[in-house]
Amino acid sequence: MGVNKMAKVQEDFDPYILGIFCNWCTYAGADQAGTSRMQRPANLRILRVMCGGRMEPLMVIQALKNGADGVLVSHCHVGDCHYVEGNLKTFRKMPLFIKMLEQFGVNPKRVKYTQVSASEGAELTEIVKEFVKELKEIGPNPLRMEE
Amino acid sequence: MSEKNLRYSLYLGCVIPNRYPFIEQSIRNTFKELGIELVDMQGASCCPAPGVFRGFDITTWLVIGARNISIAEENEADITLGCNGCYATLLEVNYQLKHDKKKRDMVNKHLAKIGREFKGTIEVKHLIEVLYYDFGIDKLKDYVKIKFPDLRVGVHYGCHIIKDSSHRPWGGEFEEPRFFDELVEITGAKSIDYKDKLMCCGAGGAVRTASLEVSLDFTREKLENMRNVNVDCCMVCCPFCHLQMDLGQMQVNDKFKDIIGKSYKLPIIFYNQLLGLAMGMNPGDLGLVATHDLKGVPPFISIQPFMEKIKEQMI
Amino acid sequence: MSNLLKNNEEIKIGVYVCDCGINIAGVIDVPALTEYAKTLPNVSLAKEYKFMCSSIGQEMIKEDIEAGLINRVIVAACSPRMHEPTFRMVVKEVGVNEFLFEMANIREHATWVNLDDHEGAFKIAKDHVRMAVAKLSELKPLEVERVKVEPACLVIGAGIAGMNASIDLAKEGYDVYLVEREATIGGHMAQLDKTFPTMDCSACILTPRMVDVGREEKIHLMTYSEVEKVDGYVGNFDVTIKKKPHYVDQEACTGCGLCAQECPVICANEFEVGLGIRKAIYIPFPQAVPGEFTIDMIKCIKCGICASLEVCEPDAIRFDDKPEYVDVKVGTIIVATGWDLYDPTELKQYGYGKYPNVINGLEMERLLSSFGPLEGKPARPSDLEPPHSIGFLQCVGSRNFRPGGNTYCSRVCCMYATKQARQYKEKHPEASIYIFYMDIRAFGKGYEEFYESAGRNFGIKYIRGRIGEVYEGEDHNLIVRAEDTLLQKQIEIKLDLLVLSCGLVARHDAAQIASLLTIQRSADGFFMEAHPKLRPVDTLTDGIFIAGVAQGPKDIPDAVAQAKGAASGAASLMAMGEFAIEPYYSVVLEYKCSGCKSCQSLCPFNAISFDVFKNIAVINKALCKGCGTCAAACPSDAIVQNHFSDDQIFAMINTAIPPLAKTENGGK
Repeated sequence: MGVNKMAKVQEDFDPYILGIFCNWCTYAGADQAGTSRMQRPANLRILRVMCGGRMEPLMVIQALKNGADGVLVSHCHVGDCHYVEGNLKTFRKMPLFIKMLEQFGVNPKRVKYTQVSASEGAELTEIVKEFVKELKEIGPNPLRMEE
Repeated sequence: MSEKNLRYSLYLGCVIPNRYPFIEQSIRNTFKELGIELVDMQGASCCPAPGVFRGFDITTWLVIGARNISIAEENEADITLGCNGCYATLLEVNYQLKHDKKKRDMVNKHLAKIGREFKGTIEVKHLIEVLYYDFGIDKLKDYVKIKFPDLRVGVHYGCHIIKDSSHRPWGGEFEEPRFFDELVEITGAKSIDYKDKLMCCGAGGAVRTASLEVSLDFTREKLENMRNVNVDCCMVCCPFCHLQMDLGQMQVNDKFKDIIGKSYKLPIIFYNQLLGLAMGMNPGDLGLVATHDLKGVPPFISIQPFMEKIKEQMI
Repeated sequence: MSNLLKNNEEIKIGVYVCDCGINIAGVIDVPALTEYAKTLPNVSLAKEYKFMCSSIGQEMIKEDIEAGLINRVIVAACSPRMHEPTFRMVVKEVGVNEFLFEMANIREHATWVNLDDHEGAFKIAKDHVRMAVAKLSELKPLEVERVKVEPACLVIGAGIAGMNASIDLAKEGYDVYLVEREATIGGHMAQLDKTFPTMDCSACILTPRMVDVGREEKIHLMTYSEVEKVDGYVGNFDVTIKKKPHYVDQEACTGCGLCAQECPVICANEFEVGLGIRKAIYIPFPQAVPGEFTIDMIKCIKCGICASLEVCEPDAIRFDDKPEYVDVKVGTIIVATGWDLYDPTELKQYGYGKYPNVINGLEMERLLSSFGPLEGKPARPSDLEPPHSIGFLQCVGSRNFRPGGNTYCSRVCCMYATKQARQYKEKHPEASIYIFYMDIRAFGKGYEEFYESAGRNFGIKYIRGRIGEVYEGEDHNLIVRAEDTLLQKQIEIKLDLLVLSCGLVARHDAAQIASLLTIQRSADGFFMEAHPKLRPVDTLTDGIFIAGVAQGPKDIPDAVAQAKGAASGAASLMAMGEFAIEPYYSVVLEYKCSGCKSCQSLCPFNAISFDVFKNIAVINKALCKGCGTCAAACPSDAIVQNHFSDDQIFAMINTAIPPLAKTENGGK
């Protein structure tokens, strides 16, 4: 699983999560979570793309290289893509990509792939809470510790 | 499911070994005929009861339930049981501990003190579920040698076998279940609908323990409704219901004699007893023949009228 | 003033942090955030203000631009989905290209979700500002595309909402293609007998509208038709409509009805909710518009009786009729597809479908209707005797928090039950009527008075408590058990008839319609509005509007108001004549394209073609919707999506994580 021996699990480790969300569904869902004041741990930063299809695996890799402890990629449910099928392309890429990460020695649990619609702020909140919990268990990104 | 040899840990609970042992006999013997292997659970205790214990202390309920399940895990065989109450407890404990790591860790901390561990490796199934799904009701039909077309049966499901519907295998059915009726009807008997068929017998939920009179009022109403449609017997799949409808019937005849008119004389039969008769087994192997004349031993309401009806068809 | 930034002109970013009252300032230290912004690369100034979206806030930005202090702007405040257009207009007014603007979402994504964790919210706010600055530094000016808007509107659904929207638009001079799936217009309102609270006869107020629709020249009515395909974009939708075969020549048919008289096939009439009959050749009800007949080919046995000249003198029967496909081009679309009634069969405890005397709200409506199957003399199904006691159970299929249940309130059931109860009481004052409720919602104009009167003047008994179980006694009478929670006792009542006031649910094919139009649905299954408060009839897809119950359960006045609102929205688009499209389209860099064609098959809008002479892919910027899928897939990185290019996105990724481990990670 590629656990860097240099990585010491800190007790007060606050995972850094980068979210790559599509504008029409998950970003809107995150807005809804905000409007409804659904509280969540302060670990998620959000990057907006217009469609889940814009997502490239290299974006996830770069984020991890830069030290993100977790990356959350999320877009519309299958069938609901504002651009018809953009989400399907990512739907095909992600499972393969996450498997590939494993072979590169990256803990696959660091990348979470979900589908959240514009009215699912509550679901997104739960996903983030669970992701934070999981990341706390596996510890900080080893690349973050180097320095 | 049909090719594999079915093998289960038999969980007996309390009422069967302590109060209604003939139910155990009927279960063991019918399952032997069907080729289903039953393994004993050494050292099994009270489940513990879903009403009395769960209502008092959840931790105790979880830990003792997990202990029982761990015995079956050692047998490497799913649990089967013939009591709605034990079903509610063991199924729910199993589900909760399988899905909640925090609870599981807490329980295992306690179990470690007696050298046990809940691993979450087995399932819990009511014997009705085993017969209907695992063994298969269609295959069961092939074992029926004698049919009883004149037998009118009032089927009593009880409560915990169908509720709460989210953790039951019956496809969400709890308002109008048909599976127990179907199992009864493969013997040729007719399941007769009666008013408030899904009403509780009155025993569970600590009601019989806390207020006998209230529980007997439930029983009285059920008996009245069944009497009104003229059934020959009441079919149960839970020994506590069996106790309430049988011993309780005797108590109803006494306590409510002013309002019920004639005393009730409704034979209460456990499903495996009917199943065994339909399979052509000896009534003596099904707990249907008295081998003594001790007082205070069930059944308290005579099952002779039922046996008469059966004998007519057996010739 | 120059709109375009020259390549070597210095980037001077102004960061404006909004307090948003206490929404942001109450959670994070805004002055500290402003100071932090000043430390970021390319930032010339950073200021804070209470409400950046106010005119004072907007003036601040304009002044700083005009003074030459800044040439790009960031506003750190709410979601870009909220105010991006507002601020884009602001910078444009003083000569800065409106795409050299970026918002950092520090409200919905930081302060509002971390109300108690001030430190955490502050960290996220800093990161979002830093990311925005990085992206803005890479952004390029873009020119907005303007497309013509076709002065025609497609209205899907000819119920009360669809009809009203169509009439308003036609009067304004726009062509309207009104498509209705059934053989008649009118929708569910045509099935109602009386309407609350005025007790107007529904047909009396509806049929004049129906006739208006038939009369308006600009309304091209297509009944018995469905929308097959929708392509294109706002202002330029290419729609294919399938006109289902009537098997009766609609021009020749005179509507005399002799064919129906002679037809030997009797079937259940859907308009009568199965309580009445029609023939295989039929019109749904006598006042149907259009009045021409249709043959239900599934039920027709092709005996040919209707086709004989003695029966059909105009010789209008056409057994070889085929569907006709019509292509139209419209600028706007209004979805007014209405609702289905909740089917209570799954609630076994109420016995719908098992006991003949348990019926649903629409069935009761037809029984009460003067042109219904019993001509306005309601009787119970088992013996056709007028019931002496009727129960109404409210909230059937609504306000249900069991898994899979509809949690919303259907809004109209309290009123329609009261109306039906009053109608029956008017005819049978001696009858006992009970309404079993959880809460009575009588919110509209005249509703409270209507409900009060039902109890006080008409003697309808309202019992606060739900029915637990229904079972049958003798003679198909019903015995219901309920709890009267106000009296705190259990009651058992014998009823002749039980009406389940079922709720409204989204149409069974709402998912398909949503896919067809690429609009979204809310959690309750109805179509989703762009903003629940401020844009209740817009969808997130420009040019497509929703109206009526298609958007959510509502009564007739609200449906009409929404129809008028949607018509107004569509009309303003069409009146402007052109629409500015966000230029997020993708562009192929000719020098990088290797001609592999990987992108071509990926585009669902067919925007990518191949130039065989230059051997490169070409993107049609009018068809490109800006999803970026091709940009992500291109193996040569030859496709750049405007405003979301690799440089811009990776700039954000590279600055997202606070400098801790790595630096110097430019690009890929």
